[in-house]
Amino acid sequence: MKHKVQTAMKTLFVLPGLLLGAGALHAQTPVQAPAESEYYSITPFATPAETALEVSSVELLPGLKVAVGTRRGEVWVVDGAYEADVSKARFQRFAEGQHEVMGLAWKDGYLYATNRYEVLRMKDEDGDGRADLFETVCDKWGVSGDYHEYTFSSRFDKAGDLWVVLCLTGSFSSKTDFRGWAVRIKPDGSLVPTCSGIRSPGGIGFDADGAVFYTDNQGPWHGSCTLQHLVPGSFQGHPGGFAWYDNAPNMGPRPVEPNDESRMVTERARIKELVPPAVYMAHGKVGNSSSFIVCDTSGGKFGPFQKQLFVADQSHSNISRVYLEEVNGVKQGVVFPFLKGFKSGLIGGRMNEEGQIFAGGSDRGWGAKGGQPYDFERVQWTGKVPFEVHEMRARPDGFELAFTEKVDAASAADLKNYSMREFTYIYQSKYGSPEVDEVTPKITSATLGADGKTVRIKVEPLTKGHIHELHLDGVRSAAGLPVLHPVGYYTLNEIPTK
Amino acid sequence: MSRIQANQSVCPGLVLGAHPKNDPMKFSKTPLSERVGNVWLSLLTGLVAGIGMEAGAAEPETILVRTMQAQMKFDQAEIAVEPGTKIKLVLENIDDLPHNIVFFKPGTDVVAVSNKQMEKPEEALKRNWLPDDPRIWLNSRMLNPKEKQELEFTAPTEPGVYPYMCSFPGHVLTMQGKLVVQKKGPILTSSHFAVYLGNWDKLPDFKALKPHREGELPDNLIQLKFDDYKNQYGAVFEGKLAVGKEGEYEFQISSDDGSRLSVDGKKVVEYDRIHPSSEIKSGKLKLKPGEHDVRVEYFQGGGNAELYVAWKGPDFSITPLSQWLHPSWKGGASTKKKSETTGMPLPVGSEPVVYRNFIEGAGNRGIGVGYPGGMSLAWSAESMNLAMVWRGAFIDAARHWTNRGGGHQPALGYDTLSPVPVGAVSMAVQTAPDSPWPTVAPGQKPEGFSWKGYRLDSKRQPEFQYEWKGVRVRDRIEVSGDATKGNGRMERTVSLSGSIPAGALFLVGETASIKKVADGFELSPALKVRAEGAELRGNCLVVPVGAGKSELKITYAWKELPGKTEAAR
Repeated sequence: MKHKVQTAMKTLFVLPGLLLGAGALHAQTPVQAPAESEYYSITPFATPAETALEVSSVELLPGLKVAVGTRRGEVWVVDGAYEADVSKARFQRFAEGQHEVMGLAWKDGYLYATNRYEVLRMKDEDGDGRADLFETVCDKWGVSGDYHEYTFSSRFDKAGDLWVVLCLTGSFSSKTDFRGWAVRIKPDGSLVPTCSGIRSPGGIGFDADGAVFYTDNQGPWHGSCTLQHLVPGSFQGHPGGFAWYDNAPNMGPRPVEPNDESRMVTERARIKELVPPAVYMAHGKVGNSSSFIVCDTSGGKFGPFQKQLFVADQSHSNISRVYLEEVNGVKQGVVFPFLKGFKSGLIGGRMNEEGQIFAGGSDRGWGAKGGQPYDFERVQWTGKVPFEVHEMRARPDGFELAFTEKVDAASAADLKNYSMREFTYIYQSKYGSPEVDEVTPKITSATLGADGKTVRIKVEPLTKGHIHELHLDGVRSAAGLPVLHPVGYYTLNEIPTK
Repeated sequence: MSRIQANQSVCPGLVLGAHPKNDPMKFSKTPLSERVGNVWLSLLTGLVAGIGMEAGAAEPETILVRTMQAQMKFDQAEIAVEPGTKIKLVLENIDDLPHNIVFFKPGTDVVAVSNKQMEKPEEALKRNWLPDDPRIWLNSRMLNPKEKQELEFTAPTEPGVYPYMCSFPGHVLTMQGKLVVQKKGPILTSSHFAVYLGNWDKLPDFKALKPHREGELPDNLIQLKFDDYKNQYGAVFEGKLAVGKEGEYEFQISSDDGSRLSVDGKKVVEYDRIHPSSEIKSGKLKLKPGEHDVRVEYFQGGGNAELYVAWKGPDFSITPLSQWLHPSWKGGASTKKKSETTGMPLPVGSEPVVYRNFIEGAGNRGIGVGYPGGMSLAWSAESMNLAMVWRGAFIDAARHWTNRGGGHQPALGYDTLSPVPVGAVSMAVQTAPDSPWPTVAPGQKPEGFSWKGYRLDSKRQPEFQYEWKGVRVRDRIEVSGDATKGNGRMERTVSLSGSIPAGALFLVGETASIKKVADGFELSPALKVRAEGAELRGNCLVVPVGAGKSELKITYAWKELPGKTEAAR
């Protein structure tokens, strides 16, 4: 099956390079607004007919092979997945019956997999291409039988540990050991309780420096889906699993309970262990159910966004792009839409050394825009650089916007081309939250830097804890192109002092 | 049910006080299609309403719509109402996501409406995901989990199909339905009944029998109001139906016990013999305009007596002809309903198939294995023991592979047996003559045990591995023969390595009907077991293990039996 490239072209009008005097008549040149597909392609694989490949995890294996774990508990090994012609990919079933494989990690000849209640490692000992050893590494957390208790795991961190995030029992509570926690599994199989406050994870991954992040989903104590930094010892926001502090002496005393119907910024001041979401994946705007996290470590093979994070969404069948920085010791940053049009609800994903992302998922139980029940697809950079906000950095009095390409000086200087709104969510025990406490700041200046690619905007006021939603509809590249994704959402946990 | 219950039993030396009283795997289930009581009453009122009745005089018809937990669906995909009737719709959100219900004018593409919202998500969010669309004529709030809302409205006067959906982003794909606004059809005229006395297990030939009593049907509605007879009687109802338009007509019946419906002397639908009214049966035929003779035959054996009759035509919606309404009468014939918990049986070919999931009877860490030769088992990585065996088909994955994957799935085959009580661990040390045999509740882990995983042999048969008090245990099961043909055998080898504590026992079997037979022990009428050194202590079949006994050979032999153990009602 060939992928149809959708070119939804918007016609818009841009000024030719010369700035004309006020009142002067000038010709307007219609230009085709570029589509995402000019820069990044999505190519679906034809998946094996004998199964529904409901991808829930992806890992890279030696020999340019790819392992795919599924919600049906299978693991398939794909040979030839890197090749230009995806029809050459061959699928072999490596394992079956593993009660939802939401994490895969390769190490020393073993394929580690996570099911609902354990991390195990699999090996093909007789060389027939199928696993025969299924060795339990750690099963020291609970499973109550509730559907909601999904279990996601990372690859190995620098210390050789696996990180496991354990979904609560339902949305509100934790009925069995360490549900609602992030734990680390040491190489000897021991379990180290690491963070409380998890609600309903959708994925877990590392940034380029090895810091661990997971995505959580909108619900009680989560006004929106989020990307969160798993700092050992921290509380991540949902108090439903507090009971397990009794079994986690290494974590110290149980934190203060958050007040209901409060704000994250208020509760941070009360609860010292509370780490705010690094980025709110603005609900309904960039997605509805955040899932896998991929870091671009391809060294430029995936385009200009090296070391940035790419976060998928099951319900919107899309991937968003996150740039993070650290201010006053807290991670924060911006999310921009990146690529839409996947065929099902993305859950599992992984980038290879060639800068290709293998991504797939299913729409089972929640529905997804993609429209197909499951998918396994590959994303590649076409080699063309899109005009985008590459980085958005907080400053004491505004933001610094670094673009991927030179910016048209006139459009960069025109304050009318910028707008911003600031809002936050209610931090509450009820499900979700509307956007509240809206502030409409003034953009008081916009200055293009000497490099021609960086614009410094001053914003009055900045609001600590708010999401700063930036619109850049009028900004053009030197070549006359609009910003491919002109709206970004910066979560300002901390305002830098310098 | 076909599952043979392992009852509590007394076992000298091993008191079973720790066994759970009830099967702990049975979680309470909320009936999803429950309807509010006075639906049919108000509907009957509706039948005679319409002429000269003041608006507001009739009680509104109450319709309960629930979101289904973890399924992204409404429990009603079709709601039938009469034009212009007053309706009280109760939306109950029992799911753990926010949901609403939004009704549109006929012909609206609700998926397109939902997708359109995503073009301007900010605006949609401000409206709490209620689409800005002039075709909406009724909607609820966006309900949080566990909230409910009542909507009172007058059904459209224009007959048609009015689509509805949940407008929360992404939900529409599965969360939609149709409100069918259509007039009810006519009911019987010139109806009468005849009662017959007799003890039957199927419908008799009433024409050869003499009626005990005859009379006119009150309200021209078929009903079983024979106060003098509760059991062992039959009844024939006859009347006329006026057909206005030529076309295909559907007749539905459901009954406890048997029934049959004929039109103009021709049988249309039959639901004979002794049974509860669990299904709605339907039959269709073409009718020309004019009056037609309808005959409904019914018999009652004992216990509950129920009879439901309805019809539906090209120009009217489902219309009851009986006073009693089947609980799911608006859903139509039950055979049309697609189950979401059945329909994906896992085939077993020449190799065993492993299925780790929530298996009813094997705790929350069950490992199902379907072997060639029609034998299956579920091993529990909680009790570290063989939890269940059965023969026939392996397991149906639909419960876990449709929607979100919740719930415990029972065995698919027959002669399902728990060789030991649910949760009973494999090994224990007898510390005192009356010490209880340890069990573990689903989701819990037994003290002293740790699960290590499994290994597949060259035939892909698993060997389960665990540790108990420092003893490494390997539990391997190999199969031969075919259990469905009566010669299936499961050879189980349990190997222990390490220092085995003194007084250790291995529990091979404990069932209510366990007994010594010539060549071993009978666990159930279908399954025999033989194990070297096994002793029957009360109902417990145990093998003492220790330094001199570090390998157990246990053989389970399926007996030839005349057929399946049918599910008992």
